[in-house]
Formats: sequence, structure tokens, C-alpha cells
Amino acid sequence: MSSKPHVLIIGAGSTGSATAHDLALRGLRVTVIERGEIASGTTGRNHCLLHSGGRYCVNDQEGAIECIQENLILRRIMPHALELNDGLFVALDDEDYAFQEKFLAGCQECHIPAREIPVEQALRIEPFLNPNIKGAVQVPDGVFEPWRFCTSFLATAKKNGATIRNFTEVSDLVFQGNSVAGVRVFDHRTGKTETLGADLVVNATGAWAGMLAAMANVDVPVAPTAGVMVTLGKRFNNMVINRMHRPHDGDIVVPIRNTSIIGTTSWRVTSPDAIEIPQDQIDTMMCAGELLMPILRQARQRGVMAVARPLIASANIDARDFSRTFEAFNHRKQGGAAGIITISGGKTTTARGMAEKVSDVVCAELGINAECKTKTTPLVSYRDFYN
Amino acid sequence: MSLNVTLKILRSRPHQAQRYETFNVNVPDAANVLDAIEQAWAQHDRDLMFRHACHHASCGTCAVRINGAEKLPCIAPVREYIGLEIKIEPLKNFPIVGDLVVDVASFFQKQEASDFTITRPTENELDGRPIAHTDGLDSESAAIVPFNRFENCIECGICLSACPTMAADHKFFGPAALAAVKRQLDKTTDANERAKLLQLADDEQGVWRCHSAWECTEACPQNVFPAESIMALRQEITAQRFKNFFRR
Repeated sequence: MSSKPHVLIIGAGSTGSATAHDLALRGLRVTVIERGEIASGTTGRNHCLLHSGGRYCVNDQEGAIECIQENLILRRIMPHALELNDGLFVALDDEDYAFQEKFLAGCQECHIPAREIPVEQALRIEPFLNPNIKGAVQVPDGVFEPWRFCTSFLATAKKNGATIRNFTEVSDLVFQGNSVAGVRVFDHRTGKTETLGADLVVNATGAWAGMLAAMANVDVPVAPTAGVMVTLGKRFNNMVINRMHRPHDGDIVVPIRNTSIIGTTSWRVTSPDAIEIPQDQIDTMMCAGELLMPILRQARQRGVMAVARPLIASANIDARDFSRTFEAFNHRKQGGAAGIITISGGKTTTARGMAEKVSDVVCAELGINAECKTKTTPLVSYRDFYN
Repeated sequence: MSLNVTLKILRSRPHQAQRYETFNVNVPDAANVLDAIEQAWAQHDRDLMFRHACHHASCGTCAVRINGAEKLPCIAPVREYIGLEIKIEPLKNFPIVGDLVVDVASFFQKQEASDFTITRPTENELDGRPIAHTDGLDSESAAIVPFNRFENCIECGICLSACPTMAADHKFFGPAALAAVKRQLDKTTDANERAKLLQLADDEQGVWRCHSAWECTEACPQNVFPAESIMALRQEITAQRFKNFFRR
């Protein structure tokens, strides 16, 4: 048996995968438990937007700064999982155009590279854009492929000794006194239940964090906040097209491969599993999307998806305005169970940063002095996940 | 509006006999077959094993056979099967892990053999319309190559499942990996690299093993045209042999 401390990470979405990589790189013994396929929760059903931070640079600068920093890091460490064509913020009316000044100032304050480009040029780059736009600003948005995003982190973690077990579901936590000492898991392949011991458990289950935390009798202020996305039968834009105003329903069209995805709405749900999609949300999105790109009216809908974001809730704030930042909770320090740490909030773009934060907390809790090296460590091929 | 659908899913585990199980689920009009599978899992049996991630035909994980034909259930509308029982089975020519999940390990190792990069540079049109290029942003740290795309191939394994040669001989390199060799060949002018790639394809289990059934191209959901790639590789290899012969 190895003398290295054993950390058990629950969840192989973007956060769990990046955390596995971070801790394995710091020399810890890491096991990842995932109930289904890699990235089959919130990370999978994603806009796939590699945020420049532009969407948040006026109203949530903390979130915006995290985005641009992580965006630039991911370009270095996982170029093979990214489609990089920049993004445009376009002003549709005078009110949007008035917002442009604030937007440019926000980009500057958050160190997001941004430049105004003439409307005619924007229309030459994006022939399907609404020809009546008043202004356009280019920012370094991009697109990631969500499954390869996660498997790239996991492949690298595996290379550094981590064990990844998908189709393995947590059925209960195992306690020693008031401390979580491991988990009971059910392996769907074999139909067998087993107990895995751990020096520390990391709850990286995102929108499901509250359900796991409940097993440990602790509370996490995670608010599963659903969003609908409509995917189209064709790709109509080269760059990510955003509307230049405060984030709103249906104000973004993200292109990936041969589709364009219109997003998104925002409402609180009680359970993150199998969310019902209200038709009016789809209609709202199509109408808003058509304002940005009139051709979307004729486009065939190829699919509709909804998934819950794991946002950190704040009292008296509307779901749309919850910060997109993230938080690591050491439950012991809040008077709850020891041996379990929850990481939640954030977004796929900031997964590496989230992993760094929770790994710092893990190492402090285990009394380990090891530095984070993920900013500069290129990831191996996602295909090595299967080696 | 919602639809009632009946799914007949092939269930199995390595330690159990295969059987079909029927699930009745209610899904929205706009649902795809993957949504129906997920509902069967959510409402009826949390032990149902299936793969899925992106739900928009980008990740390639969810491929199965629907009523006998290889499909991506994430883009297969349920309404196309109105009045029909929808039979769902795992891909052929892969070891089964459980239910609809197949073991893709050896498939990905073959994909990796050509160092197939999944992005390609420089696109010039959008849905038939030309697009102008722009400079990268004026920041060194954000300097990027504008206008690239993910490759068409999403590595879903559908072409292998549809391939009769693969069914006869699992050692065959397979349509996806050979199409990957062709794409890499198109991306490089380096003579050594090209020779290495051609050598990979020029093998008893490479392009020469293919029976030219063209099922791969027929089944591919992403316009990769693996059969055409295999034929092009054969031509290229033959041309190379001629050249080498006269050079002696």
C-alpha cells in the first residue's frame, strides 16, 4: 500500500477531471468515481463556449478576470481540444450601442483583449449576421469540445498514476466518528458493491453537489440553475456571436463543428436529473437568436437540451445574476463533517482554476506542501485515456 | 406536446445473458432518441448503461444501432419513429462493457497511430457563402490562428460497426483510422512524415484488407467519407510504388 495520501474525487465533469490532474501532478494518490460516462452531466450539455470573459466584464468582473486568465492557459495546455475563431459582441440597437463604451472599458479593466471592428468588416466575416447592427467588438472567445476537454485532463492524470472509474456510482459515505473515511460504490459493470477508503473526499459533482453533501449532513449553497440550448442543423457563424448588453436569454450563438447553438435561459430547478424543457423557453431563444442572425428563423432545429449549472446561490438575487465564480467549501471548518471538501460554482472555462483552488485546500487539509503546476503543464492526448 | 415512445433496449453484462427490455417513456416532441434513452434511465432503471456527453453530435460517445442501423441518437428525432418500436442495440464489432456501452480502447489506439489532430486550419466559407479573414487580436498572449474547425470525424465508431471487413477480422485497421491517415497526409508536405503515414496504411491489415463495401461512407453521420479515403490511399501508395520502381 502506498504511503501517499489517497484522495477520492467524485464526479468526472470538467471540475473533477481537472482536479484529478492537479492532485496527481502534485504527487497524491487519486481515484475518480463517476456514475456514468465522462462529461455526461453539466459539462457535456454545454454551450462549449471558451469564455473570453466579455460576457461578464461589466457586471461580474471577478468572473470575467477568471475567464480570460483561464482562456489563455487552456490555449497553451490543450490546443487539441479547442476551436479558436474569436467572438464578436454586436450592438443591435442604440441602447446596445450605448453599452459598447462600458463594454470596452470593462474589457480593459479585466485585461480582455478587445477591439472595435467596422460593421462592414464584421458582415464580411459573418455573412449571416443581422445587417442592421450598429457596432461590433472582437474578443478572444473560443469553443471547446466538452468530452475531449475532460478526457484530456483525465488521460494526463492517469499517466501520473490516477485511477479513473466511470460507470461507478456512490451509494453512501463511510464515516469514522464525524469524519468521512471513504465511500460505498456500486460498479454498474460488475453489479458489485465495494468500499473505497480515502484520506479525503472531494465532492466535484457540480449541480448534484447538494445531494452528496446531504449524505455527509452538510449544506452547500449550490443552486442548480437550468439553461436551455437549441442546436441547429447547420453552422451559420464563424465566430461566437454575442449581443452587446448585460447577459440575457438567447443572446449568444456559439458555433461548433457543423452546428450553431443558441443559448441560453436561466431558471432554478430542484433536481438536476432529466430536466423538463418548457416550450416557451425554446420559443424565447429562437426569437432572440433571430435578432442576432435573421437566417436562424429558417434553420432546422436539430436538438434541444437543458442542463443545470452549479451556481453558488446568494439570497435575494435572481438566478441570472448569481456570480459565475467558484468556491471551495471545507465542511470541517464550517462545523460540519471532516474529510470532505466541496468545490462548486464556476464554469468549464475556469475548471483548471477551480481545480487549483480545491487542490490547495486539499493539500492544506492533508498537511502537504506541493505547488500547483497545471498552468504550464501541457496535457497529453485525450486518446491516451484509453491506454 | 409530448410523445409516448416504446424503447426495446438490448441489455447485457459480461456475466449475464443478453435480453431485450422494453421501456415506455414520455418525451417532448422535439426530443431525440438519446433523450428517450435518458428518460428510461431516469424514470425506470438507474442501472441502464449508456454513453453520452455533448448531445449535439460533437463528442461521438453515444453511437448505437437504432432499428438495426448505426446512428447518433443525439440527433435522431424520436418523431421519425412514430408508431414504431425503437430497438436500440450497442455498436457491433466492439467488445461490450454493459448494455449500450462498448469498449472503445483499441479503436482510440488505432486513431492515435497517425497522430490524427482533430482540428484543421483555415475555412473559407459558411454554408456556401465566402467569409473574409480577420487578424488575430492585438495581444501577443492571445495571438491565435483565425478560423479553424474541428475535423469532421467525431470518432464515434459507427463506421467500424457498419464495416463487414471489421466483422470478419478485428485486426483490420478500420475505416476511421484509415480516414485519419488520409487527413493527416493532406495536412503535411513533409516527405518523411508522408512516407510514415503511407507505410501505416500500406499493410495487409490496412487499405488492402478493405472489401470496398462502402458501408462506412454510407453510415458516417459526419461526411467523413472513409471509403473514399481508403481508395485515395490505395492510389497514392500504388503511385509511390511505381515511382520507387523506376527510381531503382
